[in-house]
Amino acid sequence: MIITAVVGSAPAFAQDAAAPMTDEHIDRIKSSCQSALATLGQIHANDAPTYINRNQTYFSVSDKLMAHLNSRLTLNRFDATQLVKTASDYNTALLRFRTAYKQYDDTMAALIRTDCKKQPVGFYDAVADARDQRQKVHDAVIKLQTLIAQYRKDIQEFQIKHVAQLSGGSNG
Amino acid sequence: MDDLLAGHQAEQPAAHIAWYRQQMVLFVAGSIAIALFLVFVSMALYVSSGAAQLDLSRPGYKNVQNKVDQSDTFESFSASGTVDKNVLDQFQKLYDKQTKQVDNSDAFSSSALDDQALGIDAPAASE
Repeated sequence: MIITAVVGSAPAFAQDAAAPMTDEHIDRIKSSCQSALATLGQIHANDAPTYINRNQTYFSVSDKLMAHLNSRLTLNRFDATQLVKTASDYNTALLRFRTAYKQYDDTMAALIRTDCKKQPVGFYDAVADARDQRQKVHDAVIKLQTLIAQYRKDIQEFQIKHVAQLSGGSNG
Repeated sequence: MDDLLAGHQAEQPAAHIAWYRQQMVLFVAGSIAIALFLVFVSMALYVSSGAAQLDLSRPGYKNVQNKVDQSDTFESFSASGTVDKNVLDQFQKLYDKQTKQVDNSDAFSSSALDDQALGIDAPAASE
């Protein structure tokens, strides 16, 4: 009983109930509070132009490249089913990217406003939430990259499949 | 009789003035209420549509405004015309060039928010 009272009195619980947060951890969070908030603010501010630039490029790839090629192939009576499907999947992935980033941005904005000295455990949990949501944004970026590569591959397969018609000009 | 009529006539302008004043108050209050409602609606749309994430005029983003690519240099591909091998080769080159900007996969890596990176990780247990 004496050892328990000396070593750890009423440890706080973080998100994972199986890993209670010790007083030393809480003190560390409190002492790192200002630098952590400054770092988070910097990350949050730098994320915005990255998102804007990427969002713009992703949209332009869909709107000015994929859609135009698919339309041109269809007008020339080629079967562009696979390309259309990939472009549709790409648009769905783009929406997911925007949604994921919005949720992440809202979480970060709330996190930066948290008083980590008064609520160290809440702050720690909020950082874990923000990390999970940032991971979702990252996953959405990977998915978009995969679909960009897929579309590139679909074009190559299309060229192989229609090599005869492409050599002779437009179809029909 | 004349006094009664004069009194009645004096009350009418006063009643009209009171009525107009009441209407004016209601008009101003109603205008303010409608304006507040429309501001609420526009703010809700601003947040829910994702426009807020594209707005770098918000506080705290002034230093990063110059990092946004504001030039419209994205080369488009024509949606009309013939299709042959050369056209598709041109498209491939254009596609590779434009997608090069988003080729890196390290964007929004969660490691930036690691406990160690923020200095909020659990201290090592002392022996």
